[in-house]
Amino acid sequence: MHRRVYTDPAVFEQEMARIFRRAWLWLGHESRVKAPGDFFTARMARERIIVARHGDGRLHAFHNRCSHRGAEVCAAAQGSAKSFVCPYHAWTYRTDGSLASVPLAEAYGADFKARAAGLGLEPVARLASYRGFIFGSLSPEGEDLDSFLGAEVRAAFDNLVERAPDGEVEMAGGRTVQRYRGNWKLQMENSIDLLHPRILHRSAIDAADRVDHGGRAPSIEWDIVKSNGLTLREWDGLRIAALPRGHCWMGGFLTKAIDEERESPVQKRYREIMEGRHGAERARQILAFDRHNTIVYPGLFVNSRLAQIRQLQPVSVDCTEQHGYIFRLKGAPAEMFEASVRMVNTNNSPSSIVTSDDHEIFERIQQSLATGAFEWVDLSRGLEREADAEGTNELPMRNQHRAWARYMQQ
Amino acid sequence: MSAPFELWHLVQQFLFHEARLLDERRFDEWLALYAPDAEYWVPYAWQQASPQDHVSLFYETVALLRMRLDRLQRELAPLDTPQARVNHHLSNITVEQGAGELTARAYLLFVEYRRDEQRWFAGRAAWRLRAEGDAFRIAAKRVDLLNADQDAGHLRFAIPF
Repeated sequence: MHRRVYTDPAVFEQEMARIFRRAWLWLGHESRVKAPGDFFTARMARERIIVARHGDGRLHAFHNRCSHRGAEVCAAAQGSAKSFVCPYHAWTYRTDGSLASVPLAEAYGADFKARAAGLGLEPVARLASYRGFIFGSLSPEGEDLDSFLGAEVRAAFDNLVERAPDGEVEMAGGRTVQRYRGNWKLQMENSIDLLHPRILHRSAIDAADRVDHGGRAPSIEWDIVKSNGLTLREWDGLRIAALPRGHCWMGGFLTKAIDEERESPVQKRYREIMEGRHGAERARQILAFDRHNTIVYPGLFVNSRLAQIRQLQPVSVDCTEQHGYIFRLKGAPAEMFEASVRMVNTNNSPSSIVTSDDHEIFERIQQSLATGAFEWVDLSRGLEREADAEGTNELPMRNQHRAWARYMQQ
Repeated sequence: MSAPFELWHLVQQFLFHEARLLDERRFDEWLALYAPDAEYWVPYAWQQASPQDHVSLFYETVALLRMRLDRLQRELAPLDTPQARVNHHLSNITVEQGAGELTARAYLLFVEYRRDEQRWFAGRAAWRLRAEGDAFRIAAKRVDLLNADQDAGHLRFAIPF
């Protein structure tokens, strides 16, 4: 790839228009909008969006921008509302986005009532859910959500929901936001780069090696850090898959660096609950779904095993936010949710012991690319072996950039 | 009950000592101030009630803190190369006596310089302290940053607050 793809503000503007305004982008989860009037705010590309459940029970998504002068109509991250009232001149909108009232409306002329139908909060062009996960697209045209995701990505969402004994997950525990001063694609590439963890994260892996557990079971935070310490040969043997539309996934590695699958009392209790619900064979199938991240282009990372989702929110050509969310598996022991929270604190928060090193590297890359002295980024590893790509093959990165080129040329 | 002047003075000297150990990267000595069962907590949400059901910026046991600082001390961790320089400024210190423990509170100004950039964080710190002879042990430390939950997120943190 040429350096300008990561550094040119004009390219970034094109990406916003041609990729982020066309693709299906994840907005949130239906557990946050259960009752009529419930809403949350989200971002699509750089647009501010409200997702709300209307009185008729249906979900609506619209821009958080008054049709009058453009002020944000909703300042809260989530809540419940009868209507959205612009704080500037009190234009008032229903929870389906339609305009309900305007002060002294007669000043707009006799036909205002007729025109008001077109003055609601601008709707997100398309809205759809897959198993409770809400997506939107800013483009009125394009394939439907199920086709966009494809069977392999849908399987990751399926597995996240199926891991809940009650067959239902709930978004909970707040979110983390990590900011880095680098292009969004650096994180996309890095998240499927299996050559880097043992090398870049060595200081954390070595520190984990030196931990004295004092005879107690190691913590999940330790597990995650320690798992990065697979040998390079082991990393090279992990399964990877490059999927249509730039998506991909990588095989699980979390227990491979640890002596063997150690079942804690909580995990045992959970397995028994699952076996009670589904029978031993089906429960085994669900729990054996062994993937780490499933990466949905252009910026969503689904990890069913850790019950978490991360999302990239590009801010500018050289600045990106990485948001982390956790899901409570309904019917599972409460300790599992607490472990997910601790795992996100250590791994996907600004104090991360792991991803902070990735972000440091992204900034160094961004600085080099910006100087112009370094023209081409090399992503050729494994180019001759794409048919049977494994582990450290950079096929999934090339697959991302092939999708990038298709979006950008459309 | 607020502590008598002499005790207040001793606690204040102890907190200054804790800050200095962090600022001078004397991490082993810093960790030795903490009780083995101590909690170190920097909430993510304003007035966060619990670290169990909501994410935190830091929520750590002494073992986890040791792992975190061990990597900064002995290895070239990319995020800490070159090393950050930090100052922990404390003010508005108050001390209250409870049953067997003391609660100290302070306003915290954390200044960090690294790679041509200086960052500032303001917050409110609280310690639960146990008296041990002439000294104290930290049973819990909590730091609430004014901008903990800022929408734009944070660049990475290396050194604890």
